Amino acid sequence: MSYLYGGKILRVDLTSGDVQIVPTERYATKYVGARGTNARLLYEAVDGTTDPLGPENIVTFGTGPLTGTTFPGCSRTDVMCKSPVTSLIGDCSFGGDWSAELKNAGWDHVVLEGRSPHPVYVYIRNDRVEIRDAGPYWGLPNYEAQAAIRADLNNPNYKIVSIGPGGENQVTFASIHSNIGNSGSRTGIGAVMGSKNCKAIVVRGTKGVAVADPEAFLEACAEAHLHIRGTEAYAEYHEIGLLADELAYVRCGIECGGDAHDTAPSFDDKFDYSAFWKRYGYKRTGCTGCPVHCMEAYNVPGVGATIISCELYPQLGAELRNYDERFWYQMVMQCHKQGLDNTSVATILQWLMTLWELGIIDESITGGYRMEWGNREAIEGIFWDIVHRRGFGDNLAQGMKAAADYMDAKVPLEKRGGKSTYYHAMQVNNNPMYGIVGRFHGQALAYSVGRRSDLISDLDMSEFLIVSAPVYPIWDEATKQAYTESEQAEGLRLGGTPEAADPEGYKGKAALVHDMGMTIGLPDTVGTCKWHTKFLYMYIDAPHYAKALSAGLGRKVEPEELVTASLRMRNLERALECKMGRRRENDTIPEKEFDKKVAHGYWKGKLGTSREGLERMKSEYYLIRGWDLATGIPYKETLQEYGLEDVAQDLASLDMLPERSESETAAAMKDPSLAHILMDEEERRARGAAKSEAAEDVEKRAPEVEKAASA
Amino acid sequence: MAGTGVIDASLKIVCAEGREEVPEHGRLLVEPEKCTGCRTCELFCSLKNFGEVNPARARIHVVRSQKDNIITTVPVVCQQCEDPLCMAMCPAGALSRNQETYAVVVDHDACLGCRTCVQVCPFGAPSVDPRTGKSEKCDLCDGDPTCVKFCSQEAIKFVAAEEESMTRKRDMVDTYLEHLRAASARGTV
Repeated sequence: MSYLYGGKILRVDLTSGDVQIVPTERYATKYVGARGTNARLLYEAVDGTTDPLGPENIVTFGTGPLTGTTFPGCSRTDVMCKSPVTSLIGDCSFGGDWSAELKNAGWDHVVLEGRSPHPVYVYIRNDRVEIRDAGPYWGLPNYEAQAAIRADLNNPNYKIVSIGPGGENQVTFASIHSNIGNSGSRTGIGAVMGSKNCKAIVVRGTKGVAVADPEAFLEACAEAHLHIRGTEAYAEYHEIGLLADELAYVRCGIECGGDAHDTAPSFDDKFDYSAFWKRYGYKRTGCTGCPVHCMEAYNVPGVGATIISCELYPQLGAELRNYDERFWYQMVMQCHKQGLDNTSVATILQWLMTLWELGIIDESITGGYRMEWGNREAIEGIFWDIVHRRGFGDNLAQGMKAAADYMDAKVPLEKRGGKSTYYHAMQVNNNPMYGIVGRFHGQALAYSVGRRSDLISDLDMSEFLIVSAPVYPIWDEATKQAYTESEQAEGLRLGGTPEAADPEGYKGKAALVHDMGMTIGLPDTVGTCKWHTKFLYMYIDAPHYAKALSAGLGRKVEPEELVTASLRMRNLERALECKMGRRRENDTIPEKEFDKKVAHGYWKGKLGTSREGLERMKSEYYLIRGWDLATGIPYKETLQEYGLEDVAQDLASLDMLPERSESETAAAMKDPSLAHILMDEEERRARGAAKSEAAEDVEKRAPEVEKAASA
Repeated sequence: MAGTGVIDASLKIVCAEGREEVPEHGRLLVEPEKCTGCRTCELFCSLKNFGEVNPARARIHVVRSQKDNIITTVPVVCQQCEDPLCMAMCPAGALSRNQETYAVVVDHDACLGCRTCVQVCPFGAPSVDPRTGKSEKCDLCDGDPTCVKFCSQEAIKFVAAEEESMTRKRDMVDTYLEHLRAASARGTV
């Protein structure tokens, strides 16, 4: 067995029932693992013509070299397929205890191919792999199905990832779910698993993960653990998770559900998550091998027990103006159980409520539901109609575009104000957006160029902090000031101009978004949690991963190698997305969102992203990435630089490979407003790999801040 | 800041707040109500003792129950009994008391792998190593337990034997007071 890796990729052909074993080495040398290897596996399997819900699509579950080890956050699995939502790359990742178990069984990746003629689950116990009948579990919600499988196997140690009725019924935005509260929700992975008639993957592993130099590895991991535990952010998340964050986002107007809330009464503090946590929370919990414990375990009498964290708070609650906390909680739990993406459900409901408010739709469209804000009957009714694909729910289950087409056919043009109902949909490439608005410039760019038409992986957290710091609930003035200043320094360092950190500015935002995408690529390839990076201000970075990998693999791994692998992966993904039809014009936010001011909270009446501003940020971003300014396709030179010659050839054979034009670059360089981003590539790499100065600053200042707070 | 510390060259966490120096003849004090079930203890235990990361070989196990989706996690580890049944019942005499650490330790050469210790232990704390087939149990890492250092919840502590019961009592009083405060804030008291 090779060090840190299980050494094997499991390919399961559900059509024939054949199982194939591929050495991980074939991919890992270049792509490291997890999302990197997944991207390559997907590139080899699908293209623009693949039907996302057809047997030719694949679903690949991937762990990385640090998954299942003592490195903090070792619990992530990245999952990829072609998405039935966007028809581009579908990608999500989930935590919990499944990933480490798969690694312990000696497998790095599991690839599902084909389509089983009847419901099955994949059973893995170390080297033993079976395709078993899932008839008795088909139709069961996630929690119940997993409990039943464990009971039938008579062993609670099996770790399971499964789909609920939503996935079985191929609702395009269905999720996959592991244990309690660990979802891989976005881009419809659950629907693809459902299309393959695969209910679950059940794993037990006792083989462990081999380490080349245990002592050095333990030291590297200990360092990372203590580094995390020394950050301010840890102290907060360890105690109350993201409760304060969520409230801050509401207060500053980020989490307003976009357009839908322009007409809403202010809901600041109407839904106090902290009070809910104090009342019903019974335990903090988290994933295998993580010191943070960012999730809240609740038990609400009469409703039941589940686990909630992060974005789940506002979506089906305040964003729908649903302030009944017990009802909100019940809906979140049903999303887990039935296996639907909470975000998509909330954004679709919000869309319908907007259309209702504008008088565009009525009961004849919705199957009798009155889509008034916060209407419990409507929320519940539409949810169950989607799960079971009844009536209008069937149209919604096919995604926003399909539902819009249906409504457009029914509602006369003049009633729609001369526009399609799709105009009102908060979506990027048909992917329902988070409640987070694109009116903050960095977020607008992240939505546009985000790798799955979603902002979360390329989020500009620096901007997030700057806009939310003034209203952060648990900070005093000194702390607010300290954080704002450190992020301004970070903006200047990465963007090369103070404007990069100014919420009103456009210049330099691309560098911040690019840097976050690159940083997140690191844990995504080594198979750990992105929250430990600067993403959530815990600042685990390339040197930490490199140190652990060097000790674990028994060969020197340079931080720069990992940064390069992250950039290589993103270029590969982009090339595949372009093969699937993505171009510069697809990198955008909803048309109606342009020039809209923030409607609520601290930033009320300010900001708003202009079309020109977004195009400008995109140009900067493409220049940094080495993508063609006209089409957004990676240049031949860029692909070659990252060792993706075969991909370049592939694109060339499709007649879509752009070459870097000297005149274009020169023109860009002459534009003084773009000069700051055209820095030396080497400098950029070194900057990415070096420990963030801002991180050091925050750490250095921590005692002062604490002193100030206590005084 | 809660839970901070630094590591010195020997990987001992020093100056962690509220943590005493490594006591002589210490015992592991487990407080299940603090455990979140992250199994970091299992991972580090196996790395330290076997040079690989493998929870199945760890000498501490976090047992998880999730009846009605309510999660309860209890770290199960040898209590180093005063009068250990495993030691008394071992047909090979493979178990003995290490007088320095006061831990009950296994002589792997003598161990038959008969599983008697697993069966007679009231906690089921010893395990049979899936790789070697021999008995494995906590030996307190020669008096400096690794798991304790990485438990961010401080659900496992290493405390002086004579202080163990008082430590637990004090912690329970703290928990009680916390509940009382919460209840009074809610107005239910």
